[in-house]
Amino acid sequence: MSDKTYDRLYGFRNAFDHDVTLVVTLALAAVLLAVPCIFWLLARLGKIDERARGELWRRYLSWLVLIPVLLIPILLGAAWTIIGIGALSIFCYREYARAVGLFREKTLSLLIVVGITLITFAVFDHWYNFFMALTPLAIASLVAVAILADEPKGYIQRVALSVLGFCLFGTCMGHLGYIANDENYRPMIILLLLSVEANDIFAFMAGKTLGRRKLCPNTSPNKTIAGALGALVLTTLLVSAVGWFVFAGTPLQSWPLLAVLGALISLSGQLGDLALSSIKRDLGLKDMGVLIPGHGGLLDRFDSVLLAAPVFFHYVGYFVGFGLEQAPRIVSGG
Amino acid sequence: MEPWELKPARDIGLPIGASLRSLQRESGLVSTGLHWAWWTFIQAYLVLGHRLRVHGRENLPAQPPYILVANHTSHLDALVLAAPLPWRFRDRVFPIAAGDVFFETPMMATFSAFFLNALPMWRKSCGPHALQELRERLLTDPCVYVLFPEGGRSRDGKMQPFKKGLGMLVAETPVPVVPCYLEGCFDALPPNRRVPRPGRQITVRIGAPLDFSTLPNQRTGWEQLTQTVEAAVRGLRSNGPRPSGSGEPACAVAP
Repeated sequence: MSDKTYDRLYGFRNAFDHDVTLVVTLALAAVLLAVPCIFWLLARLGKIDERARGELWRRYLSWLVLIPVLLIPILLGAAWTIIGIGALSIFCYREYARAVGLFREKTLSLLIVVGITLITFAVFDHWYNFFMALTPLAIASLVAVAILADEPKGYIQRVALSVLGFCLFGTCMGHLGYIANDENYRPMIILLLLSVEANDIFAFMAGKTLGRRKLCPNTSPNKTIAGALGALVLTTLLVSAVGWFVFAGTPLQSWPLLAVLGALISLSGQLGDLALSSIKRDLGLKDMGVLIPGHGGLLDRFDSVLLAAPVFFHYVGYFVGFGLEQAPRIVSGG
Repeated sequence: MEPWELKPARDIGLPIGASLRSLQRESGLVSTGLHWAWWTFIQAYLVLGHRLRVHGRENLPAQPPYILVANHTSHLDALVLAAPLPWRFRDRVFPIAAGDVFFETPMMATFSAFFLNALPMWRKSCGPHALQELRERLLTDPCVYVLFPEGGRSRDGKMQPFKKGLGMLVAETPVPVVPCYLEGCFDALPPNRRVPRPGRQITVRIGAPLDFSTLPNQRTGWEQLTQTVEAAVRGLRSNGPRPSGSGEPACAVAP
């Protein structure tokens, strides 16, 4: 393994090489420190009552855990980032499988978990062809293995749920991990996660202040058209501003291209959110789980990343590329 | 288009601690793997350590749901009863275990859920509600309950009278009750010992399944059912293995 690869995988000393990483880390730390003071001030002034305060606190405490859990592996090195995203994918799949009932199909479930593990290996290995091959191969295997039970009743449902599960949590989440094969992965993943999460918050705030007309009341009754448009504008601005520094010196350092990237992230983020809302509505569930207090399950938090990750990946890949300077197939050789 | 039948996990939305103790708990990949590993280990131990012998295996219904009941003298009992079942049902076997022993501490609850696949029955507050929940699950989820109607281990090895909770669980349902008699478990692991004594032989006699679908789900029915099952278990003790395949259907309410 070359020094360059080793530094990317485990080089925590390089964590703050890029200014964006440093600035965002400091900004997040500052926000996490400032929020309790704001809560205290609001309570002191009588702006929020006891109940709202409790709810805000629960959400804050969840973020207080979530942000370090996400940020620390990214700062420590690409290896931890990739393994962390692999684990996140498996836990997200678990929530999905328990919600749709697919977890009762042990063989298919096992196959999907093996597929996600292989995707994580392909990502870690920096083996793009294998990474790309795994999705069609997994689909073919799921279609084939589902026959073995010799139970045609429900075959389509079993296969369709499995394929959807693999595509969302294997393929789409895998793209998030694959970004870590680039030397410049820290600011890029941070940009993606930051803009997707900010997109959620922008939509919520714009919807609260301006929103009147519902976006799709049957899927998600609280979302408004104003919220969606507000998020689109604000996220585009955020991505353009931060992206200017992240993609400095590349063809992507251009306002129109960055604006398109921002709009794509905002749209795919909101659509991912709505896709999960549709799944929950279809099942009659409020939350996918109970892991994160105040948020629900893991998927309730990471739904917006699911569609945004491949969109971001292929857009940036088209103009810049990922890991072109990095050695491929670091484990499998070849 | 016809709507799909999507059934979320029964215990979805429960925090981890509550889901371990829930009667609605369902296994995921990890617990299924652990159940298989555990039962394979136990079966190997019983065969090698206790020369486990099973009579009347052909009396087991081909498909769940059904209930295995037996006399209770030892902590080995549930392990011995579940061991002869076909491996594909390993994940569907739920020993009904005393909540105050098997689910009191978080450590014990984790072990009971992840290895034994036990469901808790709280002896002090075992209301009709819990039995109703178990009954509903039996009717909608093809599972096997392992149950000891004496309500606790016999301290002297002698069989105690059966409690009528079993009646509330199965009366008026098509779920068959399979009476079994366990021999040698008291000798191998009496209540006053912590570890079993290998070398003592254990024998299981499995009787013909009993059907109680015509028995009313009320006090008289429960009592009659309990007596019938108790008599069937006692019968297995004295008569040895029941002849099977005699052409008689699973005997209905025998007097």
